[in-house]
Amino acid sequence: MPGQLRYPSRLSQKRVNEESAKLDVELLGQIAQGDRVAFSRCYDRYSGILFSIVVKVLNDPKEAEDVLQEVFLQIWDKAGIYKRELGVPFSWFVTLTRNKAIDRLRSSQRRFRLLEELKEETAVLTNAGSTFMTDPENRESSVMVRSAVRSLPSDQRQAIELAFFGGLTQNEISESLGQPLGTVKARIRRGMLKLRDALEDHL
Amino acid sequence: MIDERTEEQASLYALGLLSEQEAREFERELRESEELRGFVAQLKRSADLLATSAPSVEPPPHLKQKLLDQIEQRMKIVPLKKAETLFAPAWFPWAMAACLAVLCAIFFSENKSARQRSARLRDELQELQKQTISLRGETDILQNQVAEFRSKDRLSQLRIAMLSSLLASSPKAVAVSVWDNEQQKGVLVVEHLASLPSDKDYQLWVIDSKYPSPVDAGVFTVDEKGAVRFQFQPKSRVNFEKIAVTLERKGGVAKPEGKMVLLGS
Repeated sequence: MPGQLRYPSRLSQKRVNEESAKLDVELLGQIAQGDRVAFSRCYDRYSGILFSIVVKVLNDPKEAEDVLQEVFLQIWDKAGIYKRELGVPFSWFVTLTRNKAIDRLRSSQRRFRLLEELKEETAVLTNAGSTFMTDPENRESSVMVRSAVRSLPSDQRQAIELAFFGGLTQNEISESLGQPLGTVKARIRRGMLKLRDALEDHL
Repeated sequence: MIDERTEEQASLYALGLLSEQEAREFERELRESEELRGFVAQLKRSADLLATSAPSVEPPPHLKQKLLDQIEQRMKIVPLKKAETLFAPAWFPWAMAACLAVLCAIFFSENKSARQRSARLRDELQELQKQTISLRGETDILQNQVAEFRSKDRLSQLRIAMLSSLLASSPKAVAVSVWDNEQQKGVLVVEHLASLPSDKDYQLWVIDSKYPSPVDAGVFTVDEKGAVRFQFQPKSRVNFEKIAVTLERKGGVAKPEGKMVLLGS
């Protein structure tokens, strides 16, 4: 049917993920040897998605530029100490990026504004037309993730987003949403389980 | 089987929401259960994929080159050779202690002067803040002046023309037009012009010598007192030279055919 999204089968998506992770590990190995071409490829593969995370956290493209620069310099410096046991390189990149962005956010005065925005945000993640990586599989994957996140009940989604993109602690989320801590924890648990089920093909 | 409490802890762990101590305790549990490790890995991967839900924004194109340049610079820095092991004589520790004492004295003195510098800089900062406030005030004044100049400049773009009657039947007819050359719009105010039969209209023309014939600026009628205030905009961009009103058939014509009623420049 023309225009219909092609959802990859579980096996093919898993294979795409595995191949992608394999390539990333190779790239990291080459970067650790001082290979600038490998670094350049790594940048091309991930700068879009990592920049998007930082912009989402900081809401400031100029500052996001600095953070992205720090992230990639760290990838260059630390590629040699990356360990497979810590997860696939993509997870490592996301963790690095998120931590740096959240550190920057905490040290700035923008936190309150972001909180307000996140609270008001009820119809987020609608920008499905844009790309974060050039690979069509990843675009497709991104659309599916957005759809999975959108399918979460808003209370669960809010709590998870405040943690992931806002870098808030459990207590801060509880305060921000005006809900008891136990409720917040339960929402996060239910949301994460639903997200895991919805993204089963990608895990 | 993973119980609900553990699921909750695992979810919080995957999102980095556990305190350091809680995380350490949970990691102990993790080490003991392969099932839990698998479960946490799935949650962690789900959390990572959340990153891809952020609206896509591409970094600026220059950033890549900037990074590559920085890396190039880093590669030029040759790491220091590992220092060779030196023979340390017996007096070495005493000499080190003496050096340390001297360094402490230097740091103490530096610290004092740094504090003085810091106080001086603070004063300078306050002074600069005062100047900034005063400059802001001056900027506001200048902005107002600029707005005023702009408004004057705008006025200089306006062209006013008096139109006088060419008809013996309406000798008192008079009109004034104000033309804004930048906006290519104008207003015509008419008084004492003869009322029209129902099959006729007055038609306004702007005369610009670069066109072979006058440019149509619309049709109008007058009230029972022969007055009208008519806003017009010529069909083509013009350089206003003269303005005229003719008497034409209802709805107007492409080129003037009827009698000229008013003319001004």
